[in-house]
Amino acid sequence: MATRHNPIEYDGKIIEFPYDNPAEEKIPDEEIHQNLARPTTERTKRLKARCRWKHATAGEFVDESVRAGIERMRLITEAHKQSEGKPQVIRRALGLANILNKCTVIVQEDELIIGYHAEHPNYIPMYPELAYMAVQDYLQSPKYAPQPVEEATKINEYWKKYSLQSQCEAYFTPEELFQMYQVSTIEAPEFATGYNSIIPPYETVLEDGVMKRIELAEQNIQGAMEKMAEPYWNATEGLQWISKIDEWKAMIIAGKAVVAWARRHARLCKIIAENFESNPKRKDELLMLADICQRMPAEPATGLRDAMQSKWFTYLICHAIDRYASGYAQKEDKLCWPHYKASIIDKTVQPMTHEDAVELFECERLKISEHGAGKSRGYREIFPGSNDLFIFTLGGLNRDSSDGCNDCTDAILEAARNIRTTEPSIVFRWHPKGREKTKYRVFECIRDGLGYPSIKHDAVNTAQMLYYGRFSKNNNGATPEEAHDWVNVLCMSPGLCGRRKSQKTRTEGGGAIFPAKILEVTLNDGFDWSYANEQLGPHTGDARKFETFEELWEAFRIQYRYACDLGVRSKDVSRYYELRMLQMPFVSLLDDGCMELGMDAMELSEQPNGWKNPITSVVAANSLVAMKKLVFDEKKYTMDQLMTALHCNWEGYEDMRRDFLNAPKWGNDDEYADTIVKRYYEDILAGEMRKITNYSGGPVMPVGQAVGLYMEVGARTGPTPDGRYGGEAADDGGISPYMGTDKKGPTAVLRSVSRVDSTSQKANLLNQRLSVPLMRSKHGFKIWKAYMDTWCDLNIDHVQFNVVSTAEMRAAQKEPEKHQDLIVRVAGFSSRFVDISRYGQETIIARNEQDFGPEDLEFLNVGNLV
Amino acid sequence: MATCAECKSFFTIPENADDYEQGKGDCVREEKDQKGKYWLSKPVMGGMSADNCSYFTKKLAK
Repeated sequence: MATRHNPIEYDGKIIEFPYDNPAEEKIPDEEIHQNLARPTTERTKRLKARCRWKHATAGEFVDESVRAGIERMRLITEAHKQSEGKPQVIRRALGLANILNKCTVIVQEDELIIGYHAEHPNYIPMYPELAYMAVQDYLQSPKYAPQPVEEATKINEYWKKYSLQSQCEAYFTPEELFQMYQVSTIEAPEFATGYNSIIPPYETVLEDGVMKRIELAEQNIQGAMEKMAEPYWNATEGLQWISKIDEWKAMIIAGKAVVAWARRHARLCKIIAENFESNPKRKDELLMLADICQRMPAEPATGLRDAMQSKWFTYLICHAIDRYASGYAQKEDKLCWPHYKASIIDKTVQPMTHEDAVELFECERLKISEHGAGKSRGYREIFPGSNDLFIFTLGGLNRDSSDGCNDCTDAILEAARNIRTTEPSIVFRWHPKGREKTKYRVFECIRDGLGYPSIKHDAVNTAQMLYYGRFSKNNNGATPEEAHDWVNVLCMSPGLCGRRKSQKTRTEGGGAIFPAKILEVTLNDGFDWSYANEQLGPHTGDARKFETFEELWEAFRIQYRYACDLGVRSKDVSRYYELRMLQMPFVSLLDDGCMELGMDAMELSEQPNGWKNPITSVVAANSLVAMKKLVFDEKKYTMDQLMTALHCNWEGYEDMRRDFLNAPKWGNDDEYADTIVKRYYEDILAGEMRKITNYSGGPVMPVGQAVGLYMEVGARTGPTPDGRYGGEAADDGGISPYMGTDKKGPTAVLRSVSRVDSTSQKANLLNQRLSVPLMRSKHGFKIWKAYMDTWCDLNIDHVQFNVVSTAEMRAAQKEPEKHQDLIVRVAGFSSRFVDISRYGQETIIARNEQDFGPEDLEFLNVGNLV
Repeated sequence: MATCAECKSFFTIPENADDYEQGKGDCVREEKDQKGKYWLSKPVMGGMSADNCSYFTKKLAK
């Protein structure tokens, strides 16, 4: 039997909590999540059963048949050798064209959305032109190495001198490179990892079609040639057309190659239908897909099937074939709404039912689930139990401030709930105007333990788009209308989406910085004694001699600033070379700004969106609180005693450790702790970072989050003054209380978090774990909705939830094979629980399960519970 | 010498296709593994030698 939530005395009444679905009372707590998947059709049931998951655990792919392919690296190298002497942007276009013209195209049985980015559905492509270290990682693995490995090794050697990594390393000292490659005070730079993110302008593909974009580029070339031929040649103006003409030519080469590649899929579908398939229904589907791929993405999308296929092809090019980029950033409900309306409501093109649409969105989720991301082992390690950061955005307001939720939003959420996959994750933009029907769908997904949608404050983030727009170098930042068109780029940070001004590279925003380690080196004069055994920061003095808290504070500020500067500098040096060596002419073809100005997407940045991710912030914050209280205010211990205890990993200092562990902690509505932590977030984390100006001319702001780095870097961080032992996991994200330390209930957490001005940060992740019996009770939605409304009123940037019981997680640890559908929220992504390491699983279990008492219900103004 | 054009996996690319070249075709193979059936298509020139191709199966005369 399921555990029923205990009755609560509230508002003068005893409130009972029967399950919303009475049948669930008979399902044991340990099994509930195995009973929640309900694929909409037999097809999606089959597709899920045979899905080629690309999940990783502890850096290894769970499915042993996954390996790296050689095809992409072979074709990009062939093109590079053949195009020597041509303008670099043309070489980039020819590289993409060579891949698309000669690569293997794939269709799998049952699929309604087709296309893959390697020569085999179990393979993942390699990108030697980005970072040779990332490819080396695969070459050294007997399991994953591209075959023949000798050829792949030779290719990687060929690229070393041309790669982004080689170009950029020259601008850093060996000491700086060592510090960055440690991944303990800052994440390794983009030029060494090849890790990227992008928001492709899907809108132009769906609205215009690629052929129209090609026509525009052709017209622009013609116009430029006429300008150059005007009488009285003026070189100061005339010569500027050369790079533009090259860019437009590159766009045309890339666009034509993409259309031809899509049409190869059309041809393959037709060949299968006519030569291999015996099922008449599937034959018809294949011929339908052939028709779609012949037109998509060449022409504007009409119905929903067109839109989904066109979007998928565009995704493959922008995220996987031209260059690797994590993410699945798009405003899917807005993008698909006109096509949903045409197919499902008006039934004018590709007519279908709402259920057909849900099936299509389920197919999309499974397509993403088997997408192979060519990231290095380091990045596989930091997304334990998942594939990659595939995240799209729904809800919010439209440009005219009307509610952005529609029936398509609901279909997407229904699909997510029905099929139960860890990817793609969903962000929901919460606004008071958002319709309740859709908010209930959001609740259902959260209640079912998917860990998504994670929720972002619509108004706070829309205002942020306007703020960044002020710094636009060409005075063309977001307008008040455009500011409504934002999505999360990856886990947490918003960025504009649409026909122009979206973020095209991670060198604009992304990459982590680790305050817990930075505090550790602050306490040791910049030296990392517990992991690297090297100097990782400037000399800021012997902490044993600090006499005031302010001395410590200022030393920490200097160490933090040093890490921020190094991290952002490495991004901007990467950007310098990206726009010279790694142009993306297909993305440029799609962007209205690039098209108009004849500039590459790597170069043109109309809307600054700079950020860096502080991860492990709360360990450092709680440590500062404990030191202020016990050393500088109460003087119970000296800095000398503390340093000695820390260097012994608290061994022999157990009583002292207990005092530091019991010092006030963030997330309990404790004024002493919260005052220090507020100052820490606003004065140091944001205050220092915002003094930096990046490539796009705007400030860099902190995006507090965690990914799996809270485990990886926690393991590299020594003992800390919050009472934590060396090597223990750090906090699980952004502004979330440290696991198990938020003991005063869910509304105390909200009150603490709301003390930090959310506009001072770019984003800040708040993880909360809620009671399963309460959420699944008949009052679940009402209480959760009241919580969300309060969260919104308090102007908090973000919140996301785990709704999973300890009993079920413990049962899954014992019998993982029986709990394949158990999903948990780790950080900005969800994971299959049984694919997370034991170390990581324990960090989820240790999170405090928040329950709602009468005082919480009163604070939330829940109203009458009947 | 066996050539790709003689193989049953070879499908000539139509003249109106974007990637049409005389003699060029799609080499289409049906594969099956524990996850199900899938089809792979790769462009080849019909005149290429197929002597070392383990997938070569002579096309039946129509």
